[in-house]
Amino acid sequence: MTDRKVRVPRRGFLKTAGAATATAFAAPYLVPSGAMAANEKLTFGHIGVGGMGGAHLRGIKSRMDRGEANIAAVCDVDERRLENASRMAGPQADVYRDYRYVIERDDIDAVVISTPDHLHAVQTVHAAECGKHVYVEKPACCTVEEGKAMIEACNRAKIAVQVGSQGRSQPEAYLSHRYLANGNIGRVTRVDCWHYPSPSGGTQRDGEPPEHVDWDLWLGPLRWRPFNPGYLHGTFRWVMESGGGQIRDRGAHVMSCAMWWMGADGTGPVTVEATGEAPRRGLWDSAVRINVTYTFKNPDWVLTWNQPGKPVPPEERTGREPGGRISRPGYGALYTGTEGTFHHWGGDGGTWAERKAREWEPGPDAEDVYRSPGHMDDWFIGIRTGKKTIMNVEAGADVAILTVLGNLAFLLGRKLQWDHSKREIVGDEQARRLMDRPERYPYVI
Amino acid sequence: MNEALTLEALIEQIQSGDHNVRAAARDNAGQVGAPAIAPLAEIAADPDPGKFEIARSANRAMQNIVYHAGRPGAADEARAVSAELIQLVGAEPPLQFRRDVMWMIWQIAGAEAVEPVAALLGNPDLRDDARMCLEGLPAAEAVAALRAGLAAAPDDFKPAVAHSLRKRGVDVPDVPDLRLVPTKQTSVTPVGR
Repeated sequence: MTDRKVRVPRRGFLKTAGAATATAFAAPYLVPSGAMAANEKLTFGHIGVGGMGGAHLRGIKSRMDRGEANIAAVCDVDERRLENASRMAGPQADVYRDYRYVIERDDIDAVVISTPDHLHAVQTVHAAECGKHVYVEKPACCTVEEGKAMIEACNRAKIAVQVGSQGRSQPEAYLSHRYLANGNIGRVTRVDCWHYPSPSGGTQRDGEPPEHVDWDLWLGPLRWRPFNPGYLHGTFRWVMESGGGQIRDRGAHVMSCAMWWMGADGTGPVTVEATGEAPRRGLWDSAVRINVTYTFKNPDWVLTWNQPGKPVPPEERTGREPGGRISRPGYGALYTGTEGTFHHWGGDGGTWAERKAREWEPGPDAEDVYRSPGHMDDWFIGIRTGKKTIMNVEAGADVAILTVLGNLAFLLGRKLQWDHSKREIVGDEQARRLMDRPERYPYVI
Repeated sequence: MNEALTLEALIEQIQSGDHNVRAAARDNAGQVGAPAIAPLAEIAADPDPGKFEIARSANRAMQNIVYHAGRPGAADEARAVSAELIQLVGAEPPLQFRRDVMWMIWQIAGAEAVEPVAALLGNPDLRDDARMCLEGLPAAEAVAALRAGLAAAPDDFKPAVAHSLRKRGVDVPDVPDLRLVPTKQTSVTPVGR
């Protein structure tokens, strides 16, 4: 790859990205502070403004209304969504179809990327090359090589990145993490995630894209194919190339919590094996049912993704708990240790810990763990101080790569060997090729 | 796995009106291997709108054969599948099917695929798929074909070919990198401005 220029961020406030080594349950990655004034407003561009993108835009708009932020641009390939976003953001925000107009602007400090999964990596890399701080929705990447490119580009640009696996930042995630970190169930040897199946569908024929959607930009790096209504909006998630199913959507949440709480950021499995069942018809080809086993070494533990698996019935709650009532009990994880078990439900914006973790009172010698002020706020801290974010680009890419490897093992029907030190599959030439995929020009990393 | 699946049974079942039968055939197609590629291709390329789900099943059965034949220790099977796929790119099938075939080729083929794929770099409808396929093929011959393709490419295609060469480690200083150049204007105007 040829060397590429990286534009310096508008405010050169980030110092070295060299992070302190993270111990198993330590506070995350404190690095020397930069120089941005705490009261200096950040200026944002929003790329992808439907679904979660709309929620993020509302959140930043609230901050703007409090005088804490500026929104300079909103961008979407769907003009109806764009018009709605313009209405929400206010008349000061310029509107764009092509995200590259947003990232080339010198007055924008940071971008919030909430596009379909297959655009996350290319847009993050491009934004990094333009010196923008990035909040990007999960899963971070669709291929191993995308993830590696994101890490390389973001570290080179010394930007703050937050990947949208916001489960790590939930109040009961902190309680779960603290409970496990203090050995309440002994040494954890297994984490078994459960989730209800992915849907079947997408049975309509190909056709012409709606006039208000730019199909070329929507496809971005994906190889060309005719429009099909089964791709959008939101349902891209059930197509392997653009989404990858529940294991990637919610796996990027539930397994993110597991990696964080296990102190396993920066590590990866040594083997990945999977079984499952693809939909029997329709465009959507992500596994309806899939069971993946990830084996980790040094320390030894096993992570499994079980779709559907064995859900733990939700506990009774009053609604006054830190995370409130359990509204999404259909996914979560069971942690098995040498001295007991622990489970949680959810793992995303709703993360609910088993009662014993919520009620555990730490003693004077207890180890505390990092308590995120909120996923967006943690990102802002990263931007202002240089502190590595709770779901930084390495962590985000590595969790996404877990989900990629699970799907790849399922598609290939064979066990994969993984060398995390190089982030490479070993011993399988075809699987190694499939760590990457060629991209359609000009939407290339 | 259905150990008894034969080529004849696969081709019959993949055309079943029952999607459960088709899915089982699709999922077990790998064991039939290279001999199934051509007959499956005929079904997958069928433009009959009433059979698009059958075509899709056949297409995915082909992909499953590619995955299965690409397993470690099965180089002969991989070569056989590659040879069958190569037969399909230059023929008459519909454009989208040929794109699909090229997407399978880079996943399994070697140097033998370079020449027929490179021949499509001059096809305005398929050139970017051919470029991507060559980019994904690990053979040194693919890089040579991309170099030749760059020299012959019209100006509007040179940046794409140059990108593929850069990905393969080739320095291409004289061709602009257009990745970050915005091109698409919106018709929306800011609300309230």
